[in-house]
Amino acid sequence: MKEALSLVQRLSAHPDSRCWFVSWSPSGTLLASCGGDKAIRIWGREGDSWICKSVLEDGHQRTVRKVAWSPCGNYLASASFDATTCIWKKKNDDFESLTVLEGHENEVKCVAWAPSGNLLATCSRDKSVWVWEVDEEDEYECVTVVNSHTQDVKHVVWHPNQELLASASYDNNICIYREEDDDWECRATLQGHTSTVWSLSFDATGQRLASCSDDRTVKIWKEYPSEAGQGDLSWKCVCTLSGYHGRTVYDVAWCRLTGALATASGDDAVRVFKEDESSDPDQPVFSLAAQVTKAHSQDVNCVAWNPKEAGLLASCCDNGEIAIWRFQEED
Amino acid sequence: MFPSAFFFLDRRLSLTSSQPHTRARGVQLLSEVLHECYGNLTEREVLIAFYENRLKDHYIITPPVLQGLRALTKCTVLPPGSAVSMLRSLFQDVHVQVRLDSVAASRFYLKIYPKKFLKGLGADFVFGFVQSMDGERDPRNLLLAFQIAKNIIHRGYDLGKFTEELFEVTSCYFPIDFTPPANDPHGITKEELIEALRAVLSGTPKFAEFLLPLIIEKLDSDVQSAKLDSLQTLTACLSQYEHKDVAEFLEGLWTSLRREVFQTSSERIESAGLAALTTLTSCLSRSVLNSDSEDSLSTFLDLVLKDCKHHLCEPDLKLVWPSAKLLQAACSASNRASHIITAAVMPSLIDQYSSRTQCSHRRTLLEVVVRFIQSVKTSQSSENEESVFSAFRESLCSMVFSALSETNSSLQITATSMLTSLAQQTGLLLDSDIELAVDHLTRLLLTEEDDRVSLAVVECAGALAALHPAAFITKLIPRLKTEIVASEQYSHHAVRQRCLSALAAVSTQPSIVRESTPVLLEVLSSAHTGNLVGFSVEEVVLACRSLQRIAEQVQDTEETGQCFHEVIIPRLLSLALQAALQGLSGFLSGCFHVVRLAGQTASRAVSLFLDGDVSFLPDNSFPSHIQLLKQGDSWSQSQMVCLLMGCVCSLPRSVEVPQIDQLLSQLEEMSCTCSHPLSYTSAAKCFAGLVNKRSQGDSLDSLIQRTTKRVCSELDSTSSPVRTQAFTLMIWVAKALLLRYHPLSTALTDKLFSLLGDADLGAMAADGFSLLMSDSADVLNRGCHADVRIMYRQRFFSENSAKLVQGFNAAPQEKKPNYLKALSNIVNKLPKQETVLLLSLLLEALLCPDQGVQLSTLSCLEPVLINPPPALIQQLEALVSRLLALICSASHGYVRIASLRCIHALSRFPEHEILPFRARVLRALARPLDDKKRLVRSEAVQARGEWFLLGSPGGR
Amino acid sequence: LVSSGGLKMSGGTRLENANPVIFQRSGERLLTASEEDEDVHDPIDDREIFDILSINDPEHPLSLEELNVVEQVRVKVNDAESTVGVEFTPTIPHCSMATLIGLSIKVKLLRSLPDRFKIDVHITPGTHASEEAVNKQLADKERVAAALENSSLLEVVNQCLSTRNI
Repeated sequence: MKEALSLVQRLSAHPDSRCWFVSWSPSGTLLASCGGDKAIRIWGREGDSWICKSVLEDGHQRTVRKVAWSPCGNYLASASFDATTCIWKKKNDDFESLTVLEGHENEVKCVAWAPSGNLLATCSRDKSVWVWEVDEEDEYECVTVVNSHTQDVKHVVWHPNQELLASASYDNNICIYREEDDDWECRATLQGHTSTVWSLSFDATGQRLASCSDDRTVKIWKEYPSEAGQGDLSWKCVCTLSGYHGRTVYDVAWCRLTGALATASGDDAVRVFKEDESSDPDQPVFSLAAQVTKAHSQDVNCVAWNPKEAGLLASCCDNGEIAIWRFQEED
Repeated sequence: MFPSAFFFLDRRLSLTSSQPHTRARGVQLLSEVLHECYGNLTEREVLIAFYENRLKDHYIITPPVLQGLRALTKCTVLPPGSAVSMLRSLFQDVHVQVRLDSVAASRFYLKIYPKKFLKGLGADFVFGFVQSMDGERDPRNLLLAFQIAKNIIHRGYDLGKFTEELFEVTSCYFPIDFTPPANDPHGITKEELIEALRAVLSGTPKFAEFLLPLIIEKLDSDVQSAKLDSLQTLTACLSQYEHKDVAEFLEGLWTSLRREVFQTSSERIESAGLAALTTLTSCLSRSVLNSDSEDSLSTFLDLVLKDCKHHLCEPDLKLVWPSAKLLQAACSASNRASHIITAAVMPSLIDQYSSRTQCSHRRTLLEVVVRFIQSVKTSQSSENEESVFSAFRESLCSMVFSALSETNSSLQITATSMLTSLAQQTGLLLDSDIELAVDHLTRLLLTEEDDRVSLAVVECAGALAALHPAAFITKLIPRLKTEIVASEQYSHHAVRQRCLSALAAVSTQPSIVRESTPVLLEVLSSAHTGNLVGFSVEEVVLACRSLQRIAEQVQDTEETGQCFHEVIIPRLLSLALQAALQGLSGFLSGCFHVVRLAGQTASRAVSLFLDGDVSFLPDNSFPSHIQLLKQGDSWSQSQMVCLLMGCVCSLPRSVEVPQIDQLLSQLEEMSCTCSHPLSYTSAAKCFAGLVNKRSQGDSLDSLIQRTTKRVCSELDSTSSPVRTQAFTLMIWVAKALLLRYHPLSTALTDKLFSLLGDADLGAMAADGFSLLMSDSADVLNRGCHADVRIMYRQRFFSENSAKLVQGFNAAPQEKKPNYLKALSNIVNKLPKQETVLLLSLLLEALLCPDQGVQLSTLSCLEPVLINPPPALIQQLEALVSRLLALICSASHGYVRIASLRCIHALSRFPEHEILPFRARVLRALARPLDDKKRLVRSEAVQARGEWFLLGSPGGR
Repeated sequence: LVSSGGLKMSGGTRLENANPVIFQRSGERLLTASEEDEDVHDPIDDREIFDILSINDPEHPLSLEELNVVEQVRVKVNDAESTVGVEFTPTIPHCSMATLIGLSIKVKLLRSLPDRFKIDVHITPGTHASEEAVNKQLADKERVAAALENSSLLEVVNQCLSTRNI
């Protein structure tokens, strides 16, 4: 049995600019992309190909760094270097700007919705992570500002089924937060990477977290029952994937349907790793299942698995391109 | 005349109609009537009230109302108070846009305000004006308002208690921060506004107490343009102020100016700062000293010296130069300032110099001293006064002579410029100093190997010789002569060359020329009589060049003129003839340039060439009846014709050339038959030079027709052995006629066009256009008194561009490059706007697949792009697309390079025109960054870098 | 990159290296016959990258090369593997402009090289007090991108890269 990545389609998504990030809608029918051209584009399938359905402009003054869909699929949040986060509401086939979240001192690097859809997290170069609460009237209120990192915070991600938040930073660490007495506090700091941690991804159960870094490795962290007693969480690194990536690993994505782990790297490659099913859960073994070494002509910034269609993978690149791949067994 | 005119008019003109257009037409008519009969108006109050009221009406009525008001202002007597009331209405009611869209309004403004009835209004008027311009935003209104404010100030209205208000309403715009919108139809530039505001602010010393603190504050700004504006405004106002106006701000001003120079980030700001300091110092210098007042100049200079002087003692540090520049700026302001400053700094500089041992330090100190000396030079006006530096003469001399004796070349070079500066200080150096200086210079000339030093020494010698010829005559020239001529020993080639250039450089005074030219002539005669071995052809040429340089630079006195005509020229001709007879070459080119300076020798030269008359030549041992213009035995004789050209073609048109017809006929014959290129070309040029100056008439016309016929028949016979000769004569005669707008030139230039398709001569014909269009160095130029009409190039171009385009279109593919080459030769010499006519051809040619065509078209385009005509801007789309296509696809590297240069040049177009192309160009230029040829990549890097800067902050 | 408010260019920093040692500029690259031959592929080499970097140092009105900020021996290019490494030596060990110089070098290379190249700009080891911090900032493309969207910082960089004087 051998797997391979085959190209489905290439899209020139953000011409003359960078495409920083792509994100599938919860139903898997739409793909949102964002980039250095300050725009967000929404892509949908028509027949056999993916086409641009709408362009969201004028929301931001500078680069749009990341986009995130709400769990219901009716809202889109965008984080920008202009220090704001925009919330967009879907209306029929179009999106309208609903509100702008201000407060960070400078570039907002990431935004993520909690699985409940009631909470939103953002992080910034100002070293802080903010948690926002959403009420029924679409009002957003900041409930917490946490300053657990000593350098800019690159990424935030929510646990798939608990109200647990993880963040990655330029200070080489990962922090895990949980709400305690109406306040969000850092309950664990995961140390191990030797340079900037760029991205994080939980597996389907939320028991494991994958991280990727400028140190050219991917690490798998696993939650263990707390040793120190109540409150603090215990996460340990159970696996390090090194030697595969030639330059910075910018993104890692754990497929909730197949368990495959995809990475995006500054060496222009897209890679997919699979876990050996027989390996010890405390010492899992991941092996390279497929790779495309020149997946793009420049740095690959992001990889994203389609949440509904197993094996469908999107990636994007510094040259503004998006590529859609199919990961499957070769005949 | 109109007892109840107004009421009458009201009915007739529908002034109260409900339709604005109707009302407007009515008012228009009324205003026109008033213009005709303002002298007799009796109902002025009513009319003024009516018009003021109408200003509140619909905006379309405003222009005719303004016209009417203007008519009313022509009244000799206006009712009391009406002026102010009119103004107030105008300011309050006229809508901003209308106020200035209408030309009438703007004229109105400027005409009536200051002149007619405002005298005596004084403060009231100023107040009204201040109120009216408060908060104005429209640049057109501002420009006008500034002009009015300037008038208010300059015409001496009593500003009264509104001085500060007037300052406030204008100064709130300072510094002007305005960027005209793209495609601004009004064309008001930031510079216009800056100039206008500056004229207001610097217009009166009454503003000093407000303006100076404001400038000090604005100088703190981080914005470069604000700094620059502040400094220039400061300079402008200081030239108007007296010392008491600035007294209380001296410290603040000095702190700001010092900071701008010490920490400058741009040369423009630095030099603006220095200029301001000079003006400030000269403002203070204007104060009249009396016993009970403080001497503000010396107080101020104490401040400057306190902050700057000690830096001069630290030649290691970066602040030496800014400090020196500041001190020099102050020093140059006035005689008194220069005395104070030099007295304070020179002793320590001199001390420093003698105590420092490191070369670089000594050089820095020396340069600082040189600048001080130069800064004083520029300010000295009174000739008789003793030099500021007299007290330091001795130390400065020992400093400069010690530096000249150093082995370090940069020290020596700096020392020569110091010597020049010292010598230019009137009355400073003693004769003994000069003699010592000449000794040093002589020594350096003879021994110094470094070219840069020699060059500096020669230059310095030239400057000193002009001021102190005696020492050069007694010391330098004899020494050089010995070195060049008399020395039995082998003298190094390079040394001789330096001596020859030095001889030319110092020969600026007739007394020196008398001594130096015989040395040069001696070199020439020795050279070919073989008396001395070791003179190379280059040295002979250099000796001739030196003679030429002397002839050009020496003061034109009778004495030197005679020397050249009677002695030097005949001597040279004789030498040239001897050389020719002996078959020696290499002499001619040198002689030519000297010979052409001597018109008076022309008639002798003609008789020498036509009749073989050698009697006027010195050392005459020539055979009689030499026939220099006959197709003779040797080209070494025939090429002598170029000397003939030098003699006869540089004559003024009024001087008649003897035996001209015979001369022309022999020249024509020679140019059509001789086989030696220099000879037949020189004959053709000489012929052309004479034809150009012949007076209009039948004899000239028949001469031209005969020549044209002969030339064309040779050219038409493809087997003729002398086609090239005929071509050469044709092109030179065509040029001679073209220059003087002679109608018969067309036959020849048409022939030239037709030859573009010729198999053998096509390429030569294309190059011929370059000859037609450019200035020729030795003949047919204004320097030789040729008949050159202005704009002959444009005229030629406009008469012939259509022929070129037709020819290009009709020509077979392989001949097209000749047309484009011709085109590029023409275009290169034309003012850019002329090429507009050819743009479409150039753009068309870019699509031509032939590489040669592409290359010559691109080389044609590039100069055009440096200063693009408007028509080109309209075709940018086509131009950009074609250039980008060539950059990516041209198979030859040189075409890609030329296209990249054009794209690079496009980046300097007006920003708003090319910004839309930025993304596309940057994308397209990414590809040649990876071109296989390095030279292409390097062009791409430069072009792309410039396009990146376009529209980007700090870029441009 | 350094701070969102752009770089401070106060009087203090301007004077910190008032007297840089100036190195002789290397001569113009000599043209070889093969460079004029259309059929030969000229590889991108160290000297070519070095020539691209003859840009202005914001503190000194000389080119970077003359100040020895960039030396040819510290430029490493591999055309086949599309990598470029440049080490620069800040004028003095505490030079506050190091990040800016590095950023200018990086931007110049980004604008001048084919986009297939991976560009690494570092401080010459052992020549600057905050070597690691500066290197990490220069390697972080997100921070570089954000810095270049800051118009005052971009203005300074563009001025460094401009061949024309103000």
